[in-house]
Amino acid sequence: MSLCKTRLQEERKQWRKDHPFGFYAKPTKATDGSLDLTQWTAGIPGKQGTLWQEAVYPITIIFPEDYPSKPPKVRFPAGFYHPNVYPSGTICLSILNEEQDWRPAITLKQIVLGIQELLDTPNPDSPAQEPAWKAFSKDKQMYEKKVKEQAKKYAIAG
Amino acid sequence: MAKDTYLKKILGNDRYSRVRQTKILMVGAGGIGCELLKDLVLTGYGEIHIVDLDTITLSNLNRQFLFRHHDIDKSKSLTVAKAVDSFNYFDTKLVPHHGNIMDAKQFPITWWSQFSYIFNALDNLEARRYVNRMCLYLKTPLMESGTTGFDGQIQPIYPYYSECFDCQSKVTPKTFPVCTIRSTPSQPVHCITWAKEFLFHQLFDEVDSSAGGLNDAAKIKSETDDKDEIENMTKEFNELVDLRKLIFNSDARTFFTELVNKIFKVDVERLLLIETLWKSRQKPVPLIITQYEQDLIRILDDQTELQKIFGDETKVWSTLENLVILFKASESLQRRLQGEESFLSFDKDDEDTLNFVTASANLRSIIFNIEVKSKFDIKQIAGNIIPAIATTNAIISGFSSLSGTNYFKYDFEETQDFSRIYQESSSIFISIKPNKYITSASLVGPNERCPTSSIARGLLKLTPVEVKELSLKWLVDKLIEQYDYADEAVALILGKSRLIYDVDFDDNLEKRLGDLSGFTDGELLMVQDDDGELESIELYISIVEDHESDYLPQIKLGPKKAITEESSNGSSGAPDVATDTIVIDEEDEDLVEVTEPVVKKRKIEVEVL
Ligand SMILES: [Zn+2]
Repeated sequence: MSLCKTRLQEERKQWRKDHPFGFYAKPTKATDGSLDLTQWTAGIPGKQGTLWQEAVYPITIIFPEDYPSKPPKVRFPAGFYHPNVYPSGTICLSILNEEQDWRPAITLKQIVLGIQELLDTPNPDSPAQEPAWKAFSKDKQMYEKKVKEQAKKYAIAG
Repeated sequence: MAKDTYLKKILGNDRYSRVRQTKILMVGAGGIGCELLKDLVLTGYGEIHIVDLDTITLSNLNRQFLFRHHDIDKSKSLTVAKAVDSFNYFDTKLVPHHGNIMDAKQFPITWWSQFSYIFNALDNLEARRYVNRMCLYLKTPLMESGTTGFDGQIQPIYPYYSECFDCQSKVTPKTFPVCTIRSTPSQPVHCITWAKEFLFHQLFDEVDSSAGGLNDAAKIKSETDDKDEIENMTKEFNELVDLRKLIFNSDARTFFTELVNKIFKVDVERLLLIETLWKSRQKPVPLIITQYEQDLIRILDDQTELQKIFGDETKVWSTLENLVILFKASESLQRRLQGEESFLSFDKDDEDTLNFVTASANLRSIIFNIEVKSKFDIKQIAGNIIPAIATTNAIISGFSSLSGTNYFKYDFEETQDFSRIYQESSSIFISIKPNKYITSASLVGPNERCPTSSIARGLLKLTPVEVKELSLKWLVDKLIEQYDYADEAVALILGKSRLIYDVDFDDNLEKRLGDLSGFTDGELLMVQDDDGELESIELYISIVEDHESDYLPQIKLGPKKAITEESSNGSSGAPDVATDTIVIDEEDEDLVEVTEPVVKKRKIEVEVL
């Protein structure tokens, strides 16, 4: 659909003009030298003053052909430790869910900010993996330890 | 009396003689196409091209009356062209093409430009949209038609004068989020989807013959998201693998008992452990098989009782009855996998697979306190079936053909000014509702917010030599010169989503056009004003041996329009499945699309500015 590509180029332009500090987002370069507007990589910085700080967490964003009717699929790397992230890395977040709060007007900026927010404020009503969810609700110490370990892994270089 | 006496009287001499000299295209030679071709041939068109990619199957014969038993496996387009020979009274020239209408190699835009009028007789949204777009590029009038069950409609389309096919948004098939299907179902359709797409699929279908392949990261990534997430839940995955093994290594009773125990007890108990899920929801109740074991054994040995249960497909089965059905179905499926078949796919007409899905969906519904459905209802929902009806196709084809002759009232040889004809044409709807058997509606102008017709379109003409020699920079300069983009801020997107140039990405500027992969005949090039002042133009790349000095369409781009985007789901919860618009033909797998959305959807307007 032509709407998908025009909208994606629009998102690219808006991001270039204005994006939140510490974040990055860009379409991936295809082997033929073009940029694939439906596949982006982005980085979500953990908020200062939270367990997630001092790290930038990589995500991939895949836009379906019927975007913006349908939301993009957003993932962390597989095995990412967070109560609302599936073992595959897929994020369970209401604004990314067609049945729940996805609206075609939601922008890339709103999506990445939503994910940043989710990092330190997990939604206890939509558990997506057992280890992080269990630790989060039953063993806070263990949870904090694991999150900090993960933050080290994605620590901002230098 | 001559065969065309009445035609001349009905159409008038002028119109009739225009029809006689006209070359038209009919896309699709299935349910509607068979009826429509008969009508078009009897209307006396000069030349009719027919395109279809399908071959004839047994299940077509109950309503596609131009086909006979001996035609099975033959090309639909070639066969219809021969079949109408016996009543081709006006020597219409018939030119069949076996192929996919969306194949730009077989059907380049130069081929499309030979037709004065196009009739769609298609059964799927993608091809309809494609033909609609081609008609917008070429300003060729189009007659759109579609049926579903007793409902049908025709819509004449005069490009850029009346609404195009995409001006009214279509309902797309519903997908459910994994969370709902896997953890918190609340409607019968959630349980049916779970039974069909997850449980049945994982147990019997062609996914995981080798467990190793499934843990392969690259393969998992290539899977759809649902499956992907599901398969990644290692625990459940391993248990399912074990269960799958049991199909081969155990007797029917062991397999059944383990199946029921894992799926309807252990998995549910695990969900119950996640307490927060049930704060605002009713808790599911695990199924304890031992409660039913004795009765189950008794019924399984009682042929009369079994026949009674299996006999009534409209009855809502009890827990025990569903268990009986599940036992019998899993026993058969197990036997089939142990025998010749290496995997089984869900098919609504395959009794074993339908029984399995019905019973397991119902048992899950019982556990989650959701309404239980009859097998008959579940078949409709699982197969999304609305039957294709020959009579509806015949009526709609008649209207399509008759209404199509309207266009030939005037001579459009010279101009493509449709302002008068579009106001004299209407859409027609048929239904089985009393007082609404046939209704019509005047055509209205294009929807300003239609994503398809609110952008400009035209051809980008280049010779093979030019493609080889000219650079992307040349094209960018040419576009800026032709359309006057402020600040020279254009973005070029090739094909579906490949950005090849914008102000921030000039890596490719020096490349020859031919070196950009995908810069080929029939590909689309979207040109967007990054300043947001001018409307976008989508160019169809047409590589021709020679062209006049023009490379680009000589048009003036208007101001950018705001485009409507529609939320693809209703306001709260899922609509009843019966309102889904993608419909699978009762008899075969033909997709029968509804062109008129059955569900009125809430519109969300987005200013893309
Ligand atoms: Zn339109």
